[in-house]
Amino acid sequence: MSTTDVELSDIVKEFESGGTIVRAVDQVSVQIADGEFFALLGPSGCGKTTTLRLIAGFEQPTAGRILIRGRAMEGIPAYHRPVNTVFQDYALFPHLTVEQNVMFGLQMEGLGKKEARKRAEEALEMVRLPGVAKRKPHQLSGGQQQRVALARALVKQPAVLLLDEPLGALDLKLRKNMQYELKALQRDVGITFIYVTHDQEEAITMADRIAVMNEGKMLQVGKPEEIYERPGTRFVADFIGETNFIPATLLDRDSAGRGMVQLPTGDVIPALLSDALQAASGDVTLALRPERIGIFDQLTSGDFQQGDMTTLDAVLVDSQYIGTDTRYTLRIAEDTNLVARMQNVDGQDKAALAIGQAVKISWHRSSATVLDH
Amino acid sequence: MTTWLARKRESGFLLAVPTIAWLLILFVLPLVIVLIVSFMSRGRGGVAIMPFTIEHYQRTLGIFSIILWRSIGLAALTTLVCLVIGYPLAFFISTRRNRLFQQVTLFLVILPFWTNFLIRTYAWRILLGDEGTINGFLLSLGLIDDPLPMLNTQFAVLVGLVYGFLPFMVLPIYASVERFNFRYVDAAYDLGANDLRAFLRVVLPLTLPGVLAGCALVFIPSVGAFVTPDLLGGAKGLMIGNLINNQFGGSGNMPLGSALSIVMMAVVMLSLLVYLLANRRDRGA
Repeated sequence: MSTTDVELSDIVKEFESGGTIVRAVDQVSVQIADGEFFALLGPSGCGKTTTLRLIAGFEQPTAGRILIRGRAMEGIPAYHRPVNTVFQDYALFPHLTVEQNVMFGLQMEGLGKKEARKRAEEALEMVRLPGVAKRKPHQLSGGQQQRVALARALVKQPAVLLLDEPLGALDLKLRKNMQYELKALQRDVGITFIYVTHDQEEAITMADRIAVMNEGKMLQVGKPEEIYERPGTRFVADFIGETNFIPATLLDRDSAGRGMVQLPTGDVIPALLSDALQAASGDVTLALRPERIGIFDQLTSGDFQQGDMTTLDAVLVDSQYIGTDTRYTLRIAEDTNLVARMQNVDGQDKAALAIGQAVKISWHRSSATVLDH
Repeated sequence: MTTWLARKRESGFLLAVPTIAWLLILFVLPLVIVLIVSFMSRGRGGVAIMPFTIEHYQRTLGIFSIILWRSIGLAALTTLVCLVIGYPLAFFISTRRNRLFQQVTLFLVILPFWTNFLIRTYAWRILLGDEGTINGFLLSLGLIDDPLPMLNTQFAVLVGLVYGFLPFMVLPIYASVERFNFRYVDAAYDLGANDLRAFLRVVLPLTLPGVLAGCALVFIPSVGAFVTPDLLGGAKGLMIGNLINNQFGGSGNMPLGSALSIVMMAVVMLSLLVYLLANRRDRGA
């Protein structure tokens, strides 16, 4: 896990479109370790697919350097790079059978037909798709085509496997299953995966590390829990999961990454500063995950206001049953609502909280993160 | 439901009746007549008389086989040259990003159709003749001392046929390449194929329907070409179309002309059959 497999340094990719220069990838630098499952996450048009195509060699960077296994990729065409791609629409050759599709890459390496057929068969077994070798791609279901695309790429035993939204075309249930399978497969083969997706849940459940991209820039790179717990910017916090954003004023910050902020309610509370925070004081945004907020009936409130817990007064404005959880909308100030989410468990007195009721809400001080405004 | 469908079928057939009648009277019937005439004897003035004979087929496949083979050869060569010129051209046009540029170039490909075919073929006489434009130019540069004999050769016929039928090759290939998803080329590169291999293993097979259609559209009219060899080929470039034309003229031989026509049609049918078979195999059924 320690050696670097793919290194991007200061990658810029510009396209000309209608006379104007568009920067699809903007100063991206990242190191991806050998055997890592690395997700490029962002909304459509954020530059994640372009980044993937640059690594694959389908596009050449305007500036910057790409190294794969320590080798500079400049001037090396796609067909000589030790990477293989699983395309979004699979791009299985429609005129070839499943077996011929998987054999294609091996034959390009000069492997004999017999040996190539044997390895193709093994690859199809690895992706759990035996018995369809003689069929044409269009005779397979979307999930099966996806597996063929995977087998076709993996049979080449690349240093890096690039996956461009490979599960995007599958229905929800199949997608969930494939997520586990892909992850297990990646662990088994030990190949570095670079996985492009716009689905934050997919990235969080599968990836060892996630890079969140927007407008060509890599905003934050980190483990899923880091990205989720400690978002660096408002965009990242908003893109990954649900977040409350509360306008606040930063009064004080210390060198240990803690600060004091004043809320619109007038309360002054402690919070963690994001690593990327620029502001030394003044207007900031406080980010708070809904599931980290606890709601307490004022009458039953005992000694919850202890230690590192922050407590505020609120009024319950609305509640919404969403199956596993209930979503509560809480007003803490005239124009400031928060969303809190609590899991539904048996034995809970559902009548305890009524709309319009005054409650106390609380969270741990480290659950609140200060971001730039 | 069933009755509605049945009624629909019935009325659908009624709609086709005029076409069927048209084809029966003006296509099938004459064809049958030609077939019968081709087995009859030649009378005074070239008309057909009894008794039946296979003499004309013997001549067609005997003494005239050289012209038959020349026609097939020239048509095949025309198809090949059209393919070699037309494929890159169609590929170039259909891969341009600029939509307007595509439309203008396609328009230019079709533009010659706006002038009468006869006039365009006469223009080639002026270009290829001994005192023609090309020879005049080469003579004036001193590159040659005597005019190159180009007119009234098979070469001239080839040039004329390629010129005339090239659009029929370009258009279907253009349509094929236009539909082609270039993601497959990315995939081929990704799997280690260089440009040539990506073309041969992926692009060509997937644009083959256009190639086959283009070849059929060029080969079939080339075999029976008549104006081009007549104006550009002279005696050396005579093709089966000219031969048939002569048989139906004043001192001709209608039964022989009919036999030649039937044989030519068989050649065309055969090439169509090859086209259909190749197309079906390509579909991979």
